Amino acid sequence: MMQEHDPDDDDMLAAEFALRMLTGDALETARRRAAEDTAFARRVADWEVRLSALGDDLPPVPPRPATKRAVLAAVSPVKARPAFWRRVRARQALGAAGIVALALLAVFVTDRASPPSGPLYAAEIVSDTGDFRVVAVVDKSSDEVILTRTRGAAPAGRILQVWAHGPDAPATSVGLWPDGNTVRLSLPPEIAAVDGVLTLGVSEEPVGGSPTGSPTGRVFGTVDIPGVRHPGA
Amino acid sequence: MSTDGKATIEDLIARTALGDRNAFGRLYDATAAKLLAVCLRVLKNRDEAEDALQEVFVKIWNNADRYQVNGHSPMTWLITIARNAAIDRLRARRTHDDLADVHHRLVAPGADPEHTAVATSEAARMTVCLHELEENRRKAVTGAYFDGKTYQELADTFEIPLNTMRTWLRRSLAKLKECMSR
Repeated sequence: MMQEHDPDDDDMLAAEFALRMLTGDALETARRRAAEDTAFARRVADWEVRLSALGDDLPPVPPRPATKRAVLAAVSPVKARPAFWRRVRARQALGAAGIVALALLAVFVTDRASPPSGPLYAAEIVSDTGDFRVVAVVDKSSDEVILTRTRGAAPAGRILQVWAHGPDAPATSVGLWPDGNTVRLSLPPEIAAVDGVLTLGVSEEPVGGSPTGSPTGRVFGTVDIPGVRHPGA
Repeated sequence: MSTDGKATIEDLIARTALGDRNAFGRLYDATAAKLLAVCLRVLKNRDEAEDALQEVFVKIWNNADRYQVNGHSPMTWLITIARNAAIDRLRARRTHDDLADVHHRLVAPGADPEHTAVATSEAARMTVCLHELEENRRKAVTGAYFDGKTYQELADTFEIPLNTMRTWLRRSLAKLKECMSR
């Protein structure tokens, strides 16, 4: 028998999918159809429209001013903290844990069979509320980034994912950081090719990594590293 | 929402997609109170709702370029993101299980904007239609939408068998759809 779908059943399945009541096989089937079957995708979208009327009917609640500040900070690479070493020189902001981490990283990075020939760029990613901190070192001799957590972690059942982008480019996944305090990741070619401001960020994602190719969970923070160059350039 | 309001929010989303932080800030000012209301209704905790709102706007920033292909009206799109993000948090808090089921679809691929232009101004219509349902059926619909309840959880709440619950909710949804299309 050809695959046929009863329109009423389909509509109810679309409603349940929009409500996210489906689990297991039913969810997988609906997800696949939403991606492949235009008519079904339209039914889901129509239900999202109908159901969103429930939300639209609620009386507005003005958020706290801090929330807007946090939102703008989270999406703002320009707000990038001053370069890490400058802050170290100013003897500010970096906790003892961060200094220890940087020292360890310095050992970690330099204690290699072949000494790095290219420049190292260090930076710190700090969440707006300060509950998450990562020290990052980009090693242009090998086009790797080494990250060390000094505060915070992914929530239970989630993992960290590292992102990067060049000026005006969308964030690209550098790799997953499933566990451990330190991770070493190779930069993807488009990130290794960045000349100028390199932005690094860390988000928390489902165990297999972001399903969309962009950060979907909380973005803990980003940092801009200015003046990144190829060693030979 | 007026046509002008819709045009403005669409414009702000479009400019957000181009990385215009000023437009993004204005989009926040125009919609955050509504979206916080949705998060608060789901999470019932102010701190968590504000955290969820923050996450919602980061998602909006990251996905604004996908709005046009979506076929939703702008407030539908924003409310759906807010509701789903809040439900994710609620479920993570409730069970910690089955993260694979956390479903991040933000777009309906292939959806046709013309066809899906059911205006969000139908909020008032929805209220009328909800009240055409018996009280407990209305509570089942809002329980599914705002409390993220599964059929089993709804069945437990109303102390009826699972299959009866499914029939109830499906009939209620079909009635709602019929009423809203009148």
